[in-house]
Amino acid sequence: MKLKKLWSKILIFSFTMALIMGFSPMAGAAMVKVGALNDVTGATSDVGKDYALGISDAIHYVNDTGGINGKKIKLYQFDYGYRIPEALTKYKLYKRLKCVAVLGWGTGDTEALSPTVTKDKMPYVSASYSAHLTNPAKTPYNLFAAVDYSTNARAAITAWFDKKWPKHPDYGKRKPRFVSSYHFAHPYCSAPIKAIKDQAKLLGFEVGPDQSVTLFAIDTKSQVLAMKDFKPDLVWHGNTTMSVAATVRDAYALGLGADHIVNNWGFDENLPRLAGKAAEGVMGAAVSAFFGNDVPMMDKVKEYAKKYNPGVPLEKRLIRTVQAWANVLALAEAMKRADKAGDLSGESILKNGFETMENFDVGLGVPPLNYTGTDHRISGKVPIYEVKDGKFQVVEVVDLKGRWPDKWAKEWLGW
Amino acid sequence: MSTTWLPCSVYHQNYAQDHGWWQTRFIKGKMIALFIILFFVIPHFADEYWLSVFNQVGYTVLGALGVQLLIGYCGQITLGHAAFIAVGAYTSTLLILEFPWPKFMMDWGLAYPSSIIIAAIVAGIWSVLFGLPSARVKGFYLILTTMAAQFITVDFLITGYVSQIGGRGQAFSLPPGTIRVGPWVIDDDRKVYFMMIILVIICITCLVNLLRSRVGRAWVAIRDNDISAEVMGINIVKYKLFAFFVAGFIGGIAGSFWISNLAAISPEHFPWFWSLWLVGVILIGGVGSIHGTIFGSIFMVVVMEVLQLIVMQFVDTSWGERLFMDFLFLKEAAFGLAICVFMIFEPNGLAYRWWQTKNYFNLWPFSY
Repeated sequence: MKLKKLWSKILIFSFTMALIMGFSPMAGAAMVKVGALNDVTGATSDVGKDYALGISDAIHYVNDTGGINGKKIKLYQFDYGYRIPEALTKYKLYKRLKCVAVLGWGTGDTEALSPTVTKDKMPYVSASYSAHLTNPAKTPYNLFAAVDYSTNARAAITAWFDKKWPKHPDYGKRKPRFVSSYHFAHPYCSAPIKAIKDQAKLLGFEVGPDQSVTLFAIDTKSQVLAMKDFKPDLVWHGNTTMSVAATVRDAYALGLGADHIVNNWGFDENLPRLAGKAAEGVMGAAVSAFFGNDVPMMDKVKEYAKKYNPGVPLEKRLIRTVQAWANVLALAEAMKRADKAGDLSGESILKNGFETMENFDVGLGVPPLNYTGTDHRISGKVPIYEVKDGKFQVVEVVDLKGRWPDKWAKEWLGW
Repeated sequence: MSTTWLPCSVYHQNYAQDHGWWQTRFIKGKMIALFIILFFVIPHFADEYWLSVFNQVGYTVLGALGVQLLIGYCGQITLGHAAFIAVGAYTSTLLILEFPWPKFMMDWGLAYPSSIIIAAIVAGIWSVLFGLPSARVKGFYLILTTMAAQFITVDFLITGYVSQIGGRGQAFSLPPGTIRVGPWVIDDDRKVYFMMIILVIICITCLVNLLRSRVGRAWVAIRDNDISAEVMGINIVKYKLFAFFVAGFIGGIAGSFWISNLAAISPEHFPWFWSLWLVGVILIGGVGSIHGTIFGSIFMVVVMEVLQLIVMQFVDTSWGERLFMDFLFLKEAAFGLAICVFMIFEPNGLAYRWWQTKNYFNLWPFSY
């Protein structure tokens, strides 16, 4: 009985303390607070886990190399399980903790929070590379150190059209046929669909009906059979790796006979592992180098992965880690520039930080970063890779900006 | 736990007193204090974060009220309530964005309030459609038919067709200033909070009154034994369907309310897990109790947030950093564990504890 009472008292004390502490915003000296929203348990956790590890590794690296002009970054990293209500509350918590920027995650929550971050002038560096977020006239505080989904999609279909279609026996006899396979309900998956269909029309494709494949799919035979009726030459996969691998495998097993192009979150080191032989020849957009590739800064990525997350072997780490590093390094650079300008507010991080970057190189195989007050697309050149013998090889660097300068400048921004 | 004992020396002398909402001065005082806390203390002292937490509580209460009505009062188990919330949210959004409202409705900020009512009716009717099988099936079979509501409504209709309206793709954007109630633009957490409190109070008041009426008694009779209820002359199909309508109606209000807290809406806001979560809320709070719905919602949202704040104190330690990151994972586990613990040790939920506490003080010092 006494023990029960003691436990009750301890519980009540902890609860009260938490409430008191919870109501009083924390303060810290010479410290820059940054929030991070990650998904390690939700719908996109197959790629989210590695990204979350990458964020924490990269922040350690920034702190170990002098922080933000001497100020250490204090990272508040939360897993929100890809639930939007959860993300909204966590964002408010970051605001309350006086975070100067947030490293966000999915398209759904990033787009849902977009007007709020604009109102709050909070730089929101997301892992959602939706093109909707690249127009500063609408979403000035949404940023990322990667090529956006729509640009990736346009580049991927263009690369296939340039390199693969001319080798097809029906080349010159008919239009190439194209279908999209993605989870209709997810904003990440559906974000570039309008753009890729536009590009397909521009290149002269015949576009077939879309197939809805969930992010959790492990069996996609019915969708593949539905695709088969249309006899596509090319399939766009807009999901994350797990379900893309399932679709590619089923397409191989059922003899679909089409080539595959994949958005960046479905194209990583796990794809050949999961899909095996079926992954051979699959093409996709990668927004940075793959984990372990021989590019500048990769030695640091590997060193910190080993040091801070030794439980995950290096051979299991993915390109997601590298993408996370790119976002953190870009944000750190923007904060350093803002701090040098004497103002580490959100507005200054945007204006004196990001929007002063011109061909800023973070290494890691990421195209040089360019952000202006009118355009937050970092680059018009997109490397498209292909799986060959289980490895990723560059097929073509598609220069969308160079090939369609007018459309790039006037038409394609922001969708 | 149906009887709450009156304090010593308080006696009712007529039916009006017996059915009074606030039967003693103490209760009146308590309710006034609650009113002051809800309308003045919380909005004044709570910051944006806590207001957003309270808004989540309110959304959960509104969502769970319908589930409580169906499961707790009418005995119709549902696992598809998120679909009716989604119908409410999408109807309201479409009405605001697409419907050609007369100019005076827009000018006077009546479009959104009107859309709430229409959305609630549409969600109610939609709920009745999925309640139709309840005329023939019950138990596990009914659970399956209600689950179908989720897959047909959200995964098929909303995702495949409704979301495409206006060529928007999947997410309906709600730019700041879209949601207006009269002259007030609902654009911050405080305003959302006030709207939430008003909606929660209206819904609870109406539902409690309905439960005290002939309809409510019929629902309870059906829950306790549908055959006996039918023998007594209750048209069980009519009352079951009416329960589905009211549950869907409140779900529609929940959905319409939730859009005021968002800048964009997509089908992934209404996953099937949310229906399960709402059932968990009433199990923990107490099945067959409106108090239980509120307690369950507070438990599931506020307690978890407080646990998170405790974890946050240890973020600078090496193990704390990991724990902080994994909090949601622990939260999922805590959700399952809490249901198991409540099922075993407190099957009547938190409402039962509240009832015991009230009776203890009402009868004090002669509580034996």
